[in-house]
Amino acid sequence: MLLKKRILFFGGKGGVGKTTCASAVALAASREGRRVLLVSTDPAHSTSDIFGTPFGSDEREIHPRLSGLEIDANLEARRYIDNAKAGIARMFSHAVAREAERQIELAASMPGVEEVALFDRIGDLIVNRFDAYDLMIFDTAPTGHTLRLLRMPELVSAWITALSKRRRALLSLNKDIDQVRLAPEAINPEDDPILKTLEARREKLEQVRARLMQHNFTGFVLVVIPERLPIEETARAADILRGSNVNVCGVVVNRVLPADAEGDFYRSRRQQEQVYVDEIKQRFSGYPLAWVPQLPTDVNRLEHLERVSYLLMRASEPPM
Amino acid sequence: MGWDDLKQHFGEFLHGYFVSEYERRLREQFVDLNDLFLLQCFMELVGLPNPAAIYLLDVYPFFLEEFHTWHRRMGMDRSPIGSMPCC
Repeated sequence: MLLKKRILFFGGKGGVGKTTCASAVALAASREGRRVLLVSTDPAHSTSDIFGTPFGSDEREIHPRLSGLEIDANLEARRYIDNAKAGIARMFSHAVAREAERQIELAASMPGVEEVALFDRIGDLIVNRFDAYDLMIFDTAPTGHTLRLLRMPELVSAWITALSKRRRALLSLNKDIDQVRLAPEAINPEDDPILKTLEARREKLEQVRARLMQHNFTGFVLVVIPERLPIEETARAADILRGSNVNVCGVVVNRVLPADAEGDFYRSRRQQEQVYVDEIKQRFSGYPLAWVPQLPTDVNRLEHLERVSYLLMRASEPPM
Repeated sequence: MGWDDLKQHFGEFLHGYFVSEYERRLREQFVDLNDLFLLQCFMELVGLPNPAAIYLLDVYPFFLEEFHTWHRRMGMDRSPIGSMPCC
């Protein structure tokens, strides 16, 4: 079901196995003959570790039909700032550009800049590289961060709309002054570089937003483990996502105790877990659930990932 | 100068007076709106969050001139903000 989508985001509380699940789904899709791009936004490089090959900032094939890429928000912010600097250098004297440099550097370290840069890169991928792949999978940072990221285009776009409206009012007032003076010197709104730049930005954001909200091919997968806090956080995330009109297309319950674990200790743990399993069933009843048992070892090699991939694609019943 | 000339001159004087008054008001309004626009673009400089701050770096170069007029009008000979290095 997941594999029918074109864009998938994996989210969840830190440490529940987002990267593992995202990688497993990517692997499964590529096995089915689809061209897959797996994008890691996690600075911890855990995707590189699983596949045993480094992910770069450019797309690179890491497995047959499976390409990988790691977005380094820091680097993206850098790239954006450098662009802005180049723009200034083109238009102003050397002295001015040098003077501005220091302040632009300051702007680069402002909170939110990396987030915006990260979002820009994601947007660029889902708009411009959409046709190159059958499926794009984004392994995102922990929940709160991602939710902000998904709602950002709406916020920024509204802001820019307000700005360009003001700019338009200004220009039309300028035109009125011209008419009084019978000496046209005002700029047409169509020729105003500020307005043009703002509108181009907004259009881009809207494009990305439209694609994120398109339920038939974009979906968000939440990963949860049967424990108190992850359940709470995931339920909240699901509500917020639904409220922002993002399609939550499935919940993966990871690290469920395997039915064949023996001994008193496990029996007791399983009883405890059953409470959470029931709660998950009840609270996420509206979403397709997939259950993945806890494995005897960490998932840090390709063979392990194949096992998870197999379990994930097959298991839709709680393993008990 | 005849009566008719006087009438014409007086008419032109009145016309000029009211038109310039109108123009002055328009300009005042323009200046206020422009200040508001600049404030919205550079809110972070006065310590308020600006969700589009980084995108505004795009239009940054176009602002220098307008910013220059603003700080001159506010009685500051030199740019008060280093990030706007007009003078």
